[in-house]
Amino acid sequence: MAPGAEGLEADLAAAITAWTRGGPPPDFEPWALRIFAHQFAGNAPYRAFCARRGLTPARVVRWEEVPAVPTAAFRRVDLACGPPEAVFRTSGTTSAAARGRHLVPHLALYRASALAAFAHFVLPDASRLRCLALVPPPDLRPDSSLVRMCAWVGEALTRGVEWCVGAHGLDAERALTCLADAEARGEALLLLGVTAAFAQLFDACRGRGCTFRLGPGSRVVDTGGEKGLRRPLSRAAFLRESWTLLGIPGYYCVNEYGMTELCSQRYESVLDDRFHGRSLAPRRLLAPPWLRTRVLDPETLAPVAAGATGLLCHHDLANAGSVSVVLTEDLGRAVGEDGIEVVGRAAGAVARGCSLLLTALDGS
Amino acid sequence: VTRPLIEPPAVLRERVDDALRARDRLRARPFGETIAGLAAAAARWRGDAALAAALPAAARLSRAMTAAVLPLAAEAIDADVMTALVERERGSGATGRAAREGPALVAHVLASNVPALALPAIALGCLAGAAVLVKSGRDDPLSAPAFHRALSAADPELAATVVTAYWPGGDPDREEAGLGRAPVVVVTGGDATLAALGERVRGRLVAHGPRVSVAAVGRTALADAAAVAEALAVDVALHDQRGCLSPHAVYVETGGPLAPPAFAERLATALGAVAQRLPPGPAGVAERAAARLLAAEAEWIPGAAAIAGDGGTVVYEDGPTFRPTCGLRTVRVHPLADADALPALLPAGAVECVGLAGIPAAPLSQRLRALGVSRICPVGRMQRPPLSWPRGQHAPLGVLLGRDGAPQLAVET
Repeated sequence: MAPGAEGLEADLAAAITAWTRGGPPPDFEPWALRIFAHQFAGNAPYRAFCARRGLTPARVVRWEEVPAVPTAAFRRVDLACGPPEAVFRTSGTTSAAARGRHLVPHLALYRASALAAFAHFVLPDASRLRCLALVPPPDLRPDSSLVRMCAWVGEALTRGVEWCVGAHGLDAERALTCLADAEARGEALLLLGVTAAFAQLFDACRGRGCTFRLGPGSRVVDTGGEKGLRRPLSRAAFLRESWTLLGIPGYYCVNEYGMTELCSQRYESVLDDRFHGRSLAPRRLLAPPWLRTRVLDPETLAPVAAGATGLLCHHDLANAGSVSVVLTEDLGRAVGEDGIEVVGRAAGAVARGCSLLLTALDGS
Repeated sequence: VTRPLIEPPAVLRERVDDALRARDRLRARPFGETIAGLAAAAARWRGDAALAAALPAAARLSRAMTAAVLPLAAEAIDADVMTALVERERGSGATGRAAREGPALVAHVLASNVPALALPAIALGCLAGAAVLVKSGRDDPLSAPAFHRALSAADPELAATVVTAYWPGGDPDREEAGLGRAPVVVVTGGDATLAALGERVRGRLVAHGPRVSVAAVGRTALADAAAVAEALAVDVALHDQRGCLSPHAVYVETGGPLAPPAFAERLATALGAVAQRLPPGPAGVAERAAARLLAAEAEWIPGAAAIAGDGGTVVYEDGPTFRPTCGLRTVRVHPLADADALPALLPAGAVECVGLAGIPAAPLSQRLRALGVSRICPVGRMQRPPLSWPRGQHAPLGVLLGRDGAPQLAVET
């Protein structure tokens, strides 16, 4: 481990936690440069990658100049600044050898980042709800960064978790029982899981003729998009089903955008906007202050014009223990001053994503 | 871009009825006349100035590229090749006889990846003795009507048996009107298209799904590596590498006068030179992103290197694993200890054509046939398939006539 690594990550975790208590956000550029120096020193493959471009901490003076590695690199080499406390693997339909690996030296920073962003964008009213998790529990998928995040959310930000995905996929009976129980008690729930599991839950509701009116303040957080779905489900249809079948209005439905290779996530703006007087603002994916995203021209890797589509390149300070700047296979565009929209994938990109968690479980 | 006319289903149905009646009127006509009409139409089509002007925008190819590929499509409708094909598949002397068998109607649903797919579709349908419906792909709704115009001028009676149409995919009413009565439906397209139409087609379905091609260079051919690289670069560049005959990987024998990594450099140089005279067409952001990421990935693969230039991207990989590229003139070069090992490196059911330079086809042909390869040809000719090419290992006429037989492999020398 590079000297001071734990201290650097602990300092950043403390800065993030302080932000959740009303403190200032981490000052992005100084942190970005400090972390780049740390990664250059402690991450040999990344150092070689930077050196081939003539980029060293002495020459990089702006956060935008820190070199980005493609997500494919995570399929080929271990990119970490020290021995990992955890190894997370991407979900996908390809062979295990072709799946990406994100080595995280210190989980404390990932935890601080994940909880801070979740609390800010999903629980701006500081609600403490019971959680229905539509993902496998950690003992079934210890290598899933999403599952780990859900477990932390369950422990720290809710009144308890019911895990409704088992070894054979969604346990629909269990989920429906929990929903009925909550409805009977007028209780608000946090439903948290992959989009494909929600689609299966909606199908189960329709198949059994069940509809629920969950307590006010109930909310949905889904992630993974359309990958792994057994039938097409547009975003509009997803929101309609959430309202019709669960009684949760669209402005309490938050889509999460995350990647195994990142320790920070983006969330749809609906609740943040609603609780801050911006209800008419367009839906967009917002980030906490320690995650920035650039939209790049595929050929030049220069930023595209405002609103134009390009490759998404994330700069995540919470990735301090591995590589902070990740060039994704996702296509997107900037929305407003602070948000992005994901509009697709590079042609022929490998199928991957959280919704494939279910595919891997049930073998479908 | 000229917007194609999308007719109501009832009009489409009437046009198919008219074509079926026209086909009945030609039942006594010998095939030789049909062949002459098709060849004359192809020659006429080749000079269609309106098509040449409009096709680049529709097909998203450069003007120089469409100018290069239109003659190739026309040349494939060759009278001698058609005569040999009819004689081979319908029996000796068949060109002097009338159609005694065959489906009343052959419907073709064409893909959008390369232009002018309508020409072989129409020609083979006519040589099967059928009326022909061609549903064009989104990116080339022009070639089929242009060929119909040419056929109308050259052979109006035969042209009356041909219907060209366009409608957006997934339109059940038009699919029923156009395809519903066809005893044979030939579909070329992606997996989603094949799956969707496969459920709706009532006649016999002939499906051509996504495939790619590969090339192999023997050590003796490396004595003239520049010429081989030039020929391969043309194979890669034509149609901007969108077709099933476009090579995505080149296996280069080791132990020759040029090492495989050096050949990769030569190929990149050749692609640059070819791009000067055949510039690439416009590409979407998803395609450009894929090309960028493929090159970026190479930097992280041990023994790999990407050589990106204006003419495309060559990725040299020490490992032999075949992986299709993203297109946009992107090709992988792998070392090959011996040409005999090539078939073992290729996946089954994914490769349509193998281009060879300095490697005899005979020792490989049986094993390549078993993998689903339908064509072996010299490099530099991969994008010049004759009409007699047994695409998908199907006999070109036999598959329409319902007597497909054993999987076929054509070896061109």
